[in-house]
Amino acid sequence: MNYLLVLISAIIVNNFVLTYFVGICPFIGVSKKIDSALSMGIAVTFVMTITAIVTWIINHYILIAFGLPFLEYVSYIVVIASLVQFVEMFIRKTSPALYKTLGIFLPLITTNCAILFVALIQAVRELGFIESLVQGFGAGVGFTLAIVIMAGIREQLELSDIPKPFQGAAITLITAAILALAFMGFSGLTSS
Amino acid sequence: MILTAAALMGAIGLLFSIFLVIANRKFAVEVDPKLARIEEVLPGVNCGGCGYASCALYAEAIAKNGEELNLCVVGGADTTRDVARVMGVEVSGEQREKLVAVVFCQGDNEASKFPGVHKGIQDCAAAIYSQDVAKRCKYGCVGMGSCVKSCPFDAIHLSDGGIPYVDAEKCTACGNCVRACPRDLIELHPVSHNSFVYCKSQDPGPIARKVCSKACIACQICVKAAAKDDNADAVTMDGNLAVVTPDPYAAKPEYGEKCPTNAYSCGCNSVNKARVLGHEPVGGERVPVGTA
Repeated sequence: MNYLLVLISAIIVNNFVLTYFVGICPFIGVSKKIDSALSMGIAVTFVMTITAIVTWIINHYILIAFGLPFLEYVSYIVVIASLVQFVEMFIRKTSPALYKTLGIFLPLITTNCAILFVALIQAVRELGFIESLVQGFGAGVGFTLAIVIMAGIREQLELSDIPKPFQGAAITLITAAILALAFMGFSGLTSS
Repeated sequence: MILTAAALMGAIGLLFSIFLVIANRKFAVEVDPKLARIEEVLPGVNCGGCGYASCALYAEAIAKNGEELNLCVVGGADTTRDVARVMGVEVSGEQREKLVAVVFCQGDNEASKFPGVHKGIQDCAAAIYSQDVAKRCKYGCVGMGSCVKSCPFDAIHLSDGGIPYVDAEKCTACGNCVRACPRDLIELHPVSHNSFVYCKSQDPGPIARKVCSKACIACQICVKAAAKDDNADAVTMDGNLAVVTPDPYAAKPEYGEKCPTNAYSCGCNSVNKARVLGHEPVGGERVPVGTA
């Protein structure tokens, strides 16, 4: 039951993008088309889940065991960078079209703060191994959910008659804000 | 403490490097080294003249699908030679002449008086769509300069009278203006070809003359002159319009000497215009373009 709670919490109630405001860069950058948004979401979910597992292991069996918790940031960055490299190789081999669509945002997953956030928050919340895994996966699904909703809205916006001062970045940010407001409605659904 | 930290980070780094090296081996993507070199010798202006959206796509088509090497109209013979060198193919002696865009209308503001002013989007197709074309002739140039905007080489400009003219030296025959013209008034022709009927009007003579002082009025004087010269195929009638054959060496400028409206081969368009502007076009000589 607790795992379900962590999962729902990560996906909806404490959606990383819309309540903690991390990972905004790809959220705005790759949300023009639903297709590429979904692919981006899946790539991020994959990286997040693996990161959650690996960083939990590093944190518990290396950093805490050797009494070096200050190496947290550095070692997590190494993990994330390597994983993103791996995902990039994998996508380039399996789907050149997707590789072109994601473009610069694929290597930029490295600097996506949402992923570092996943790694850091699990130590703060003192989650167990399975809980960390579930939270990492949930955060990825939450990111995918947010970015796909955003892409859907933006596809509609393409066809809308937007007043000139609001066109482009302005309407995108306003949309993101209203979306975040809507997600506030979920708070109180669960505690944590 | 410092030593442990350093050793630990080193170990983590090493572990992930090994992991990445293995992954790199496993997921290596073969990239044809020729591809990058072909891209290097192509001009990189992405004009689309070869039929591909970008130079990179054309390079890919050459490297992978054995596409023809001489499609790059911008680089011409030099680029073809360079590409052939990269591909390790001999350039044969076959030649193709340099093409330039030719505008088939002379109806400037003076020749074809306009009844109104177009104040909408400054685009030829938009002007036609909104029915407030600034020229009277329904076959002629609209004069909004869509062709000028489409040119990536700054080779086509509007004259004071509102008719585009082509700088033959800058023109690379990429064909963007040909596609941009909603009335299909621009065609690509060999640079040495200097005899044309610069008109596309299908109006019968009296009407054509009324809407434009430089229209072809289908009097057939040029057709008869060609027939007299034992060269009947050079100029033929297409409905109410005299048309010069695409063969650059068939028609002669003399056929148009008696043209009452100077629609035939007037010295104010395209190749001739370039001469007027002081550029010496490559006219008369064949510019060699090799093929593999």
